[in-house]
Formats: sequence, structure tokens, C-alpha cells
Amino acid sequence: MTTRSLGQFYPVDSLVHALDPRAKILATAVFVAGLFLIDSMAGLLFVAATLAVLVAVSRIPAGTFLRLLRPVLFIVALTVLIQVFFSREGVTLVGWGFFEVHSGGLRQGFFLALRILLLVSSAGLLTATTAPVALADGIEDLLSPLKRVRFPAHEVAMMMSIALRFIPTLGEEAEKVKGAQAARGADFSEGGPLRRARSLIPVLVPLTVGAFRRADELAEAMESRGYRGGEGRTRYRELRFRKADALALAVTALVLLVGILL
Amino acid sequence: MENPGEGTRTGGSLAVSCERVSFSYPGSERPALSEVSLGLRRGEYVGVVGPNGGGKSTLVRLLNGLLRPDSGRVRVSGRDPATEPFEVRKHLGVLFQNPENGLVAPFVEDDVAFGLENLGVPRQEMQSKVARAIQTVGLEGYERREPHTLSGGEKQRVALAGLLAVEPEILVLDEPTSMLDAAGRREVLEHLQALRTEKTILHVTHHLGEVAGADRILVLNGGELVVDETPGRLFSEADVLRENRLVLPIVPKLALELGLRPAKLRTPEELAAAILERTESETRTV
Amino acid sequence: MRLELRAVRHVYARGTPFEVEALRGVSLSVETGEVLAIVGGTGSGKSTLAQHMNQLLVPTGGEVLIDGVDARSLEKSELRRRVGLVFQFPESALFAPTVEEDVAFAPRQLGLGEEEVQERVRESLVALGAAGLAARSPFALSGGEKRRVAIAGVLAMNPEVLILDEPTAGLDPATREDLLALILGLRGAGISVVLVSHDLDEVAEVADRVCVLHDGRVRAIGSLADVFYRDPSQAPTTVRVASLLKESKPEIGAPVRFAETLEALKALPGV
Repeated sequence: MTTRSLGQFYPVDSLVHALDPRAKILATAVFVAGLFLIDSMAGLLFVAATLAVLVAVSRIPAGTFLRLLRPVLFIVALTVLIQVFFSREGVTLVGWGFFEVHSGGLRQGFFLALRILLLVSSAGLLTATTAPVALADGIEDLLSPLKRVRFPAHEVAMMMSIALRFIPTLGEEAEKVKGAQAARGADFSEGGPLRRARSLIPVLVPLTVGAFRRADELAEAMESRGYRGGEGRTRYRELRFRKADALALAVTALVLLVGILL
Repeated sequence: MENPGEGTRTGGSLAVSCERVSFSYPGSERPALSEVSLGLRRGEYVGVVGPNGGGKSTLVRLLNGLLRPDSGRVRVSGRDPATEPFEVRKHLGVLFQNPENGLVAPFVEDDVAFGLENLGVPRQEMQSKVARAIQTVGLEGYERREPHTLSGGEKQRVALAGLLAVEPEILVLDEPTSMLDAAGRREVLEHLQALRTEKTILHVTHHLGEVAGADRILVLNGGELVVDETPGRLFSEADVLRENRLVLPIVPKLALELGLRPAKLRTPEELAAAILERTESETRTV
Repeated sequence: MRLELRAVRHVYARGTPFEVEALRGVSLSVETGEVLAIVGGTGSGKSTLAQHMNQLLVPTGGEVLIDGVDARSLEKSELRRRVGLVFQFPESALFAPTVEEDVAFAPRQLGLGEEEVQERVRESLVALGAAGLAARSPFALSGGEKRRVAIAGVLAMNPEVLILDEPTAGLDPATREDLLALILGLRGAGISVVLVSHDLDEVAEVADRVCVLHDGRVRAIGSLADVFYRDPSQAPTTVRVASLLKESKPEIGAPVRFAETLEALKALPGV
């Protein structure tokens, strides 16, 4: 019924959206690794500023993007608090008996918090600007050299693709089964956690059985259409690496280098 | 009336043949198919009907190599589907009943390309074949649509396009419209009818009306091939219909009860015209 | 029981870019002991409408009345017991280890005593012609058998109104006929049936009144003859045949059911 896009993908036209998914995946990986090599606040802030510029270029509304960070706020707050209250570095700023707040703790707290936020933001930027299908393609491509060491890259990619294809379908099915059981008097909202978990059995069992049946029928259909694994298979969709992609990778590396040096 | 199995004696000109094929599902007491012999000539359009559990779905899966017969011979374009399934599947495509579970890719055009990918067709060639197949089923503009946003009829048409892209000579349809609504059924049947002249078609269905225009209708009941006749004959044999729990669609049913020819009259317009003719000839003689 | 919808509107995903108005002011009533058919193409709002009748969905505008009382003021569980809803392809919701257990789900949820529950299970299975399946696993049944069990599961609530959303979809003709006979049987027992269907021929055989839904609105509602003869291009086959002959043979009348159509045709001179 609705055509919501999956997960956090935000479909608009932007330079970032148009980049090859492989470039974006690699850039994100390099970015994440690089973050751990930066040890100065100035470096982190510089990188944060660059990321903010990227988000702007990707035309994702700030509000939407910040919402992506919501799940980690708790961890971030916890990290800050732990550092603030338990670190003894630097000058004591405030003290009430056992609890002391040192300047070192404050600094360290914010540093770590910022790093966590940047980690999540970079992953968030990746998923927000890359369609799930493109991501799957990118991952398949990047993993394909591993085929030489018998890693089932094709099978993994096929699984991801099929999962993406069926998630909305299974979602609709779940809604339907819930409705059918509710029509028979099932109540999913009453009782404590154990009761509620049990009340989900009439939904989980049919969904699971249904999923197996679906898989069976799908396998038959795939086989009937000549599927026999990745051997000798060609690909309809094409990923083409362009200058812009190489440029993106280079820029990412440079920004990180600057951050590390700062 | 044609003899079941007569076609198999002429061997080579047959697109599909079964010679005394039997099959039982493991753990089942009754055979799903029992000594079934049949033959399809190139270009024929043959319907397969019969009660549930009669063996229709089993037949489909024996023809494309998903199942291997316990005894007997199956030949598709001269090949044995059980030993050469990959080859056979280039020549015989199956359209399954459930429109949802036949679509494997996240986008329409990718799904249509699936069969071609499996055959290792080069990308350039794929693009034109996919485009042509999509056009044949009237789904231009749907290329980047996601399957879950499509109606049942549209999904089946995508599945059909996926089959046609591989350009098989033989199409086997396993109750392709039974899960669709009236509009979807009409859409799919329209496109199937259009393929009649270029393909050999085996159409398994519950709806007798869908195969009223077939060259022949096979009735499978309890795993046995009990009838192999033209629709014209079958539609007028009330006891055969009853024995095999076959239900005539309304127009032929009315025709039969009124003493008119059930297989020739398929639409309300045709029936009304035939009735008018009768009343006019009556008033003329009076 | 009289189930009434007054100017019911339903908007999905309000306030988001995916907002869609599925029902735009639907008014209709279901009288005691009648079979009301709701027909319309995909996207007409049929299924949405069905879900309003047992409050699985709540109207964005307008109201749903049970015997004159606003459905929202009634206990949900009470309402769902009195108005039973069977979804399309209901067998996808079968879950218990045995058929008996599955059919017993709804009566147990109602808090009935075990004896009463067993009684209801027995009765419902018999009504659906599935008594012999009681000890089997629902997952090992054929499509038609599963459908019967699923419907029995809702019937076991002894609803006053039973809503069936495309009950014969995907079924073989024999099971179809059994289900249609069941619908007539229920009506005979005083239970109202709302039959949501795209199959007009099926509607012609069992319904008393029909409501045509189009694009979220009621396009027509009334007796089968009234509604279908007004627009024979969207009518059951029997009506289409008869209406083609009406001009030259007005004595044919307005038959709808197969039997009466056959009689009317036979009565024509020379036929």
C-alpha cells in the first residue's frame, strides 16, 4: 500500500547519492578506521565540520539526519558521564566528597562522545544516501575477490537481495496475521512482558511457517528459471566507477590525514 | 476422439511427451500420477483440469525437472528434464500460481532479467530482451517499480515477462490466475491468449472457462489421465463433468441446459445471439 | 443485530507524504439475517471497509453503529465477538498444533469454560464440513481444508455478523460451492453475512443486497436486480445475458440467480 523506502534511505538527488556505492562503502570504512587514529580535539572537530558539509551536500534535511543519531544518545550520555565523574586527570573543577569533576575528564568525555557521534553519522550518511539494493550490489562487488578463497560472495549477495525484496511483503503479511488474530480476540498489549511474548505466538508461528513456504516456492521458481548458483551467471545491473568516485575516496583520505595531523 | 498416448508414437514432432509416467511423493500411500501418457504437438494449446490432488501440479513439476518420475519417460523437445534440467528450462518456462513468490528481485526489470542472468547472456543482449519482454506484457514504465507495490495481475505479468525474456517455445501455466481478482485474471489471460500462435502451451487450471478455446482438454483425476478430448465434446458430457467435479462456467452451462452448443458459446453476447436466433427461427416457422 | 456505517471516512498515513484516503464517506447498513455483498475493484476500499465493521480500524470521520450504539463505546472484545471477520486467505493465520486447538483459540480468548469451548469447536467444524480434520495438524492440510478450518475458527465465536473477505479466492470449484452453501446456511440460521467479493457470479447466487464500492465511495446499493440491471456491463453473467435479451424480449424480467435465469430463458418461445 505505501511505498516507504527501506530503513533510513532518503531518496533525493544529490552528488553524494550519485556516487558509486562501492566508493561510499570504502570511504566509510576508511573514515571509521581513521577516526580511531585521530587523537586531538581539533582533528575531530575538523573532520566533524567536513562531515557536516557532506550532509548538507547530500540534501538530507538536518532534522532527519539528527534523528538517525537518536538511538546512540543514551550511550553517548553514559560515556560522557563516566568520563566526567571518574577521570582524575587535569585540574579539579568541582568537588562534592567522593565525586570530583576534573577538566581532563570533561575534555575526554566530549572527545569520546564526539567520536561516537561521528562513527554513527558516517554510517548513517552511507545508508541515507545509498539505496539498499545499491548497497547490496556494492557489497557483492567488494566481496567478490574473496570468491577465490571460497567465500560465498554470490550467495551472500543473492540472500541480501532476496531479503530486501521480501521485507515489505513480510511486513504486510505480519500486519495481516496480527489483524486476523486480533479479530479472534487476541490482545497483544495486555499483561507483563512474559504474557505479551506469549501472546505473539499466534503471530510468530504462522509467519515463520509462511516464510518457509515462501522460501520453498521461491526456490522452485528460481530453479525453474535456470538458477544454479553463481557459476556462469552474468549481471544485468552495472556498477561503473567514475572519476567522481575516485575523487570522493581521495578527499576522504585527505580529510582524515589532516585530522590525524592536527 | 484422440487416444491418450497416440501422440507419443509419432515421437519427434512432439514438443512434450509423457509415456506411462508414475510418481509418488515420499511418504504418501497413493501415487500422485499413475501411468500417465500424453503428448503435446508444437503449437498446440492444451488445457489440464481436474479435482484438487489429481496430479496436475505434479505433472508440471515433472515436465520441468523439479521432480523425477518413479517410472516412465518424460521428454521435452527431445530431452529428459530429470537428467538435463538446465537445457530443458531454456525451452520450457513455467508460470506458477502464486504471483508473490515467483518474483525474486527488488525491481521489475531486474526480475525480468533473472532468467537471462542464469543463462549467462551478455549484458548488452539482456537489455534488449528485457525491454522487449516488458513491452510484450504491457508493462512499459514499470521497470523500476518494486514488486510489493504491484497488483496481483501486474505481478503475474512481470513473472510472464521473465519467462518470455528467455524465449522458450513451450509455456506451462500452473493455475496462473487462481489467486487473482477478476481484473487481474482478465489481464493475464489476455496476454496469454496473444501468445497462443507462437508458443506451445499447457494450461493447468480450475476454471474450465479459461480453456474453452483450447485445442484439447486433459482431465487428471486421482493421478490418472481419464479424459483427453476437445472442449466441444467435454462440455457436453454432463456425467463426465460431474464425475470429475468439473464446473462449467455460466454461459456454457446455460447453453447446455437450453440445448445449445456449450463449447461454441463463451460470452454472454454469443449466448444472447444464439438464443435470439432460436426464438426468431421459431417465430418464423410459426 | 443491525450494523450501520454513517459517512465513514478513513485516511491512511495521515500527515505523511504517503497519505491516502481509502474511504470517502461510506454509508450502509447490514440488517439481521441478510447476506450483503460488497463489490468493487482493487483499490475501491473493500477490505478497509470490512475492517471498520469490527473496529480493527477506527474511522477518521463518521461513525459505526451497532444497534444504534457507537461502536467506539463498546468493549473491543465484545464487539469482535459479535462481529466476526475472516480475512482474505485466512489460512495464513493458522498456528496451533492441531485443528481443534486452532479453532478453540477464539472461544478460549472469550474466556468460555472448556466444555463450552469444545462444543463450539465441534459445531464449527461440522458446519464447515471439516469435522474429520480435528486431530490433524493445520499445516498438513490441503488449501481447501485449511480455508475451512480458518473460517471455523472465526465461526466458533458465534458472531451475529460474519464478514467474509473473498472467501473463495484461490479455491477449486467443489470447495467454492461448499462455502457458498455454507453462507446460505448461515443466513438461514439468522446470522448476517457480509460478503466482500470481486466475483459477481458468486454474489448473484447468495446475496440479498449488494453495495458497489468505487474509489472509496458507495456507487450503488440495493437489491441485486436493481443495482445490476442499472449497469449490466458490470454485472453477473446471468444479468448480462438477460439484459442483452431484454430489448427484444422484455418478458424475460430481471432474473439474477442461475435457476431463475434459466427458467426465464426456457420460457422464451422456441428455446
